Amino acid sequence: MTVEGLRKYFPVKKGFFKKPDWIRAVDDVTFQVFKGETLGIVGESGSGKTTLAKLILRLIDPTTGKIYFDGTDIVGVSKKELRKYRRRMGIVFQDPSASLNPRMSIEETLRRPLIVHGIKDREEVRRRVLDILQKVGLGKEHMKKYPHQLSGGQQQRVAIARAIILNPDLVVLDEPTSSLDVSIQAQILNLLVKLQHDLNLTYIFISHDLLTVRYVSDRIAVMYLGKLVEIAEADELFYNAKHPYTATLLSAAPIPNPEVRYVKRFSLVRGEPPSPINPPPGCRFHPRCPYAISRCRTKEPVLKDVGGGHYVACHRAEELDLSEYTSGLWKIITESRVS
Amino acid sequence: MTDPLLRVVDLKTYYRTSAGLVRAVDGVSFEVYKDETFCVVGESGCGKSTLALSIIRLVPYPGEIVGGKIIYRGTDLLKLPESEMRKIRGKEIAMIFQNPMNSLNPVFTIGFQIAEPPVIHFNMDGRSAWRRAVELIGKVRMPDPEVRARNYPHVLSGGMRQRSMIAMMISCEPKLLLADEPTTSVDVTVQAQLLNLLMNIKRERRMSMVLITHNFGLVAEVCNRVAVMYAGKIVELGPVREVFRNPVHPYTRGLMKCLPIGTKRKEQLYVIPGQPPNLIEPPPGCRFHPRCPHAMEKCKKEEPPLTEVEPNHYVACYLRR
Amino acid sequence: MSMDALARLREWIEPILQNKYSRVGFFIILFIVALAIGAPVIAPKHYAEVDPQNRLQPPSLQHLFGTDELGRDVFSRVVYGARIALWVGMLVVFIEAAIGVTLGVLAGYYGGKVDKVISAVTDMVWAFPPLVLALGVVTLIGPGLVNVVTAVAIVSWPTFTRIVRAKVQSLVNREFVLAARAIGESDLNIMLRYLLPNVIPTIIVIAALSIPSAILSTTALSFLGFGAQPPTPDWGAMVSNGMPQLPRAPWVSSFPGIFIVITCLGFNLLGDGLRDILDPKLKV
Repeated sequence: MTVEGLRKYFPVKKGFFKKPDWIRAVDDVTFQVFKGETLGIVGESGSGKTTLAKLILRLIDPTTGKIYFDGTDIVGVSKKELRKYRRRMGIVFQDPSASLNPRMSIEETLRRPLIVHGIKDREEVRRRVLDILQKVGLGKEHMKKYPHQLSGGQQQRVAIARAIILNPDLVVLDEPTSSLDVSIQAQILNLLVKLQHDLNLTYIFISHDLLTVRYVSDRIAVMYLGKLVEIAEADELFYNAKHPYTATLLSAAPIPNPEVRYVKRFSLVRGEPPSPINPPPGCRFHPRCPYAISRCRTKEPVLKDVGGGHYVACHRAEELDLSEYTSGLWKIITESRVS
Repeated sequence: MTDPLLRVVDLKTYYRTSAGLVRAVDGVSFEVYKDETFCVVGESGCGKSTLALSIIRLVPYPGEIVGGKIIYRGTDLLKLPESEMRKIRGKEIAMIFQNPMNSLNPVFTIGFQIAEPPVIHFNMDGRSAWRRAVELIGKVRMPDPEVRARNYPHVLSGGMRQRSMIAMMISCEPKLLLADEPTTSVDVTVQAQLLNLLMNIKRERRMSMVLITHNFGLVAEVCNRVAVMYAGKIVELGPVREVFRNPVHPYTRGLMKCLPIGTKRKEQLYVIPGQPPNLIEPPPGCRFHPRCPHAMEKCKKEEPPLTEVEPNHYVACYLRR
Repeated sequence: MSMDALARLREWIEPILQNKYSRVGFFIILFIVALAIGAPVIAPKHYAEVDPQNRLQPPSLQHLFGTDELGRDVFSRVVYGARIALWVGMLVVFIEAAIGVTLGVLAGYYGGKVDKVISAVTDMVWAFPPLVLALGVVTLIGPGLVNVVTAVAIVSWPTFTRIVRAKVQSLVNREFVLAARAIGESDLNIMLRYLLPNVIPTIIVIAALSIPSAILSTTALSFLGFGAQPPTPDWGAMVSNGMPQLPRAPWVSSFPGIFIVITCLGFNLLGDGLRDILDPKLKV
């Protein structure tokens, strides 16, 4: 799958006579997802990551841009044609209790995708529902239940089952573990990794939790105010972050180890993410960037290859050394382990 | 050690629901000392928020504190009449909640709301209370305090709202700050700044803090001592470095092991099997035994008491190394 | 299967009985329904049976509620009247719901222009004083009970539309609706299988709370002479007929009047209780 120059602007009405402002939720985003890999997308609220997820599945229409799925641009296709592609994509949302119809049994929830896509044979439907429930670690006893009778972890398993029951190629996971407890998070992460391996799935994994993203992803893309600022192989990004925003995120992540404390790494974090309405000119991060120079205020940086498939959108990518902010997290990721 | 600022003894808070008696906090004891940051960590539904609300006696209906003592500077708060308790809230013990939008009144400016507690507690006149509010808004590092003071909560960002909440809470110089998931609803970069702010203010004003969280990262970053709660009980309590270096209770160990750190990418993660029990009918004996890989016969029958395994490190488990 | 249905029914009724208000409401409605069903057995006379010898008799053992100007037994007429009141109330609400819910779901789901047009129509109907509008409609299509029912339904569906529209709007952005679109569900299916089932508790509550006003509106029209034609024992018509005798024979008007009040009270209490049970956030 290739995404090219994708843009989504939402109008914000300010008054009856005024021209609307535009929220540039996703602004000229280009990237590729390879078969069988997990592409992680990280960013804070307002970075456009959820809008991007909805765009990829064509749940909303892009303002401009192209989305190639297996060589076909699915932005221009007809409704009927789109249905064919829907079958090959699935989505899992953050809040499992909101993503399941409260008035639909688990069995019915899982049957719907099959029926919509023309699988009408009752025996086959039943067999596939049972099969998928088993794959996500649930069983026959859950079929007749309703979402509110399941725990959060089980609900998320059902949502995952619904996303993969049509044997899709691509699954978009929008913060699938954020609303779950730590001990349940691990169960779901294990399940996702196993399913990917068994069914040869391609994932787009969206999250604000850096540790989770690094765990599941092969490559990670960092978004800031609708723009892609850095994309690299997962461990490379954590070890060798080039964009000051990536370094800021990494340094702000709370580390579960009392030996390496915040306050020292903290100096990089400045200000709050500005609103995506009328973002700053030049590099959008420059007002919060301690390394900003005059060029950053006027000229928007583009994604450049800095070697080994590592792309950064920063004018000073080559000269900055940000490792002092990120090494703490890297050390914990690679070393700390309870025996 | 010196006398504790707050001592909670065998606290029990139950909710009488139509489904049965929910033992949200069931026999919890701990102390909070001066200047310290004490963390209570646990998963959702373990009773940690109820614990915080119990301390300032704001447990919502149908909840009720049914037993125990909460001794704050020598007086048992549970014995005080409501009118006395009102003088404690805000002035001595203040609380910050998870969602600042719900805790700020949408129809008043934040300056007004920050100025109000000193007017109530110290009979401060309106003008000087307002000046102080502006000063406090600057103190929590919001830009343009004069302007911000005249803003209504809904025009502020999540981080700014939480800052105003902090300003409001410290306006009466409380000695103890209860913070229930204060950064859960904000972004990581904002979280880092809020925590830094909280810790600075705490240090400057020599306050003690009880931080309630589910995030082990936060615990490690800011606290001195930590209590791990499971199903209404404290299962492990100790100095933070000690607990992280040498977690003893199988639940604590499980929680730390199942974090996706120290693993290769996509490597199988450790998993605590099962789910937290419901608190209406918790399992007999040790409440963790159905999920515990080391459960023995004894664990199914008797409840393990909190005992000291190392100096100041307490664990409620029969399995001691 | 019937055991299953029975268990379901119990699941519904138990919370109604637990709530103090809805319990009272429930028993009042049960009483009125019993009257309606058992009318031929309960009523000592037929509602149209004229007895010129015993005109305007006060209440006695023989005529529990007395007799009217034609010597008809008021008690029997009131009992038979329960049938009409219930039938009318439910029919009106059924029609209201059919129009209101359809428009509400469409407006809430599609938004944009569809919403604007539907909302404009709703507001227009809402802006008229309902009784005056209903009067207008009845004058247009002529008197008669069925016409009154139609008229009242035509003027009072906007309640349904407004509440259902708001409810659907809050549901439409929920993730399960997005997920339904992601698996390729059609618009119609999303409305029928995903939105409607989630609005049904709300609809039941509004329906229960709308029945009293439906009964009141129809009785009012009957009172004015547009509704049920004699000898139909409509409570509104009975109150109206008894008016000239009010100083001499107050029982002719007051008993049907009391029953109107009791029935409306019953539905209101039941509706309030149902609201607490099914949809605590809804305030009509």
